[in-house]
Amino acid sequence: MTAEQIIFYIATGFILVSALMVVTTRNLIHAALWLVATLFGVAVVYATLDASFLAVVQVVVYIGAIAIMFIFAVMLTKRNLLDHVPQTNSNWPWAAGIAALTGAGLLYTASQLSTFGAQRPALSGDALMNLGKALVSPDAFVLPFEVASILLLAALIGAVYLAKK
Amino acid sequence: MTQTDFFTLLPAILLTLWACALLLVDVFTPGAHKGRTAFLAALGLAFTLGVTFLQPGEYTGFNGMVVRDGFANFLISLFLLTGLLGVAVAYGYLRRMGIERGEYYSLMLFSIVGMMLMAQATDLLVIFIALELLSIPLYVLAAFAYPNTASEEAGLKYFLLGAFSTGFVVYGIALTFGATGATSIAAIVAATAAGVANKALLLSGAALILVGLGFKTALVPFHMWTPDVYQGAPTSVTAFMAAGAKAAGFAALIRVFSSAFPALAADLTPILWALAALTMILGNLVAIAQSDIKRMLAYSSIAQAGYILMAFVAFGSDLARPVAISAALFYLVAYTVSSFGAWGVVISLEKEQGKDLQIADYAGLGKKFPWLAAAMTLFMLSFTGLPPTIGLIGKLYLFRAALQGGLYWLAIIGVVTSLISAFYYLRVVLTMYMKDGQPDVARETWLTATIVFSALATVIISLFPAPLFDWASRALLMVMK
Repeated sequence: MTAEQIIFYIATGFILVSALMVVTTRNLIHAALWLVATLFGVAVVYATLDASFLAVVQVVVYIGAIAIMFIFAVMLTKRNLLDHVPQTNSNWPWAAGIAALTGAGLLYTASQLSTFGAQRPALSGDALMNLGKALVSPDAFVLPFEVASILLLAALIGAVYLAKK
Repeated sequence: MTQTDFFTLLPAILLTLWACALLLVDVFTPGAHKGRTAFLAALGLAFTLGVTFLQPGEYTGFNGMVVRDGFANFLISLFLLTGLLGVAVAYGYLRRMGIERGEYYSLMLFSIVGMMLMAQATDLLVIFIALELLSIPLYVLAAFAYPNTASEEAGLKYFLLGAFSTGFVVYGIALTFGATGATSIAAIVAATAAGVANKALLLSGAALILVGLGFKTALVPFHMWTPDVYQGAPTSVTAFMAAGAKAAGFAALIRVFSSAFPALAADLTPILWALAALTMILGNLVAIAQSDIKRMLAYSSIAQAGYILMAFVAFGSDLARPVAISAALFYLVAYTVSSFGAWGVVISLEKEQGKDLQIADYAGLGKKFPWLAAAMTLFMLSFTGLPPTIGLIGKLYLFRAALQGGLYWLAIIGVVTSLISAFYYLRVVLTMYMKDGQPDVARETWLTATIVFSALATVIISLFPAPLFDWASRALLMVMK
């Protein structure tokens, strides 16, 4: 096993355990914190795939903004942070069976792909720099990028108009 | 950015700058003179229209992401006309309803920029962003009479379903990208021709894009939002979006399907056939049951979309496609002028938000305001497809295109549903002339001008359709290489 594989297994194991904790823990704040851990694990996977930009975005946007917003929302809305109702209903074995079948099906489909088990091709150049250049290059994506900024301006005007009243 | 890039997007760039400038001017315009913003917006639209006319020609810009071909030029002119009429009907209406705000016109201009880009885009990525740029200002405009609950509901409903439908478009684009490794139409064509595209993925992608654009053009079964949004939104907004958003949706639909997916025609044509048939049948049948004029016109607009789609069903045939595209363009003009006229009449009768909107409220209009009733009669005849109106000529072209594509049954459905539609259109005419009532109308210069313009266009183009039709026939799509 290469170092990369070891990191991958650790990260994915970490993601699975913490994702399971998100849905099983009875304390909502703990669930939100486990969610942060899950998202961080995904960021690690991105980093090992040379997608450094995605890894940073994952940390900044998902952990830095969205998860924190979850925690705020939980703290502001619910006085009692413990959940006492049963976590499953009588249908859970069926759901588990279907989930297991779907998982097995996906695994089988993936194993049939011609690229299964192939080595990841090495990226040429700095992915982050390529992405940045593509976003502002007239030969690449500067037009959608600029139109998106007009779109945001229009959305901003609309939001201000609706909120001001 | 090279000079060609600049000229390709010249109308959109001008209008964007104008919209931004309008925002700044509006800040320094005192509340009592907000009408100035409307005049400036109209000036910007007219200026852009002039530039578009003086500077036509074919350009490809941004490495093939956008083009300005005959098709785009035709539609850009149509969108600018839509904008001018939209400003004219909004000017007095907003003041009357107490919602006169400068943001209205800026948002409208931004939405028109989105429409133009929809017509110019030759890359699915640009189509997606243009669709959003077109839609987001419209969501806000639909809710413009906030805190009026009907308007608020219309805005929220339009926003939720619109966001849902753009989700479909994005998913479709992603699948298309997965199948061909590209988002540009030229590369999709190349990948399909070389046989490297995964057909199942490509077909799913095309179908999902169709669903998303079907929402925007209000095709059955993606029309659910239309009556509620058209009814709840301020009527000037409804008039604008009924014409503009539908034309923009068709612009993207026609461009993407006839340029990128002609290879899938064998699989897509039956789907389009069913959509067109359902839209014509359901739109017209449900319109009969409406007693509210805004809802009736909403269902009528759904039915009109069905007729346009009908011509385009045989898009895979090289012989039928150019005929279908020019017929669709001609009909979009016919629909725009007639629909603005009809909504203009509705606006002049609507004294307060949501009042006097029943068809029964039109009783006595023929006696008290004969000219207005005559204009409304013309627009109803045009929607039905009876002489002497542009609607008749437009429908003839659409049917001719459908027959050229060998769609005999669909054309028969179209004729039968047109006959059915006469029932509810002529009911409005009957109510105006045969029943007694005391309707009251608002007299506003620009609103009257819109109605007069629409009525004249409806008649005059029907007498001399050749120049417009020639223009529509020359409005060809640039071949993507």
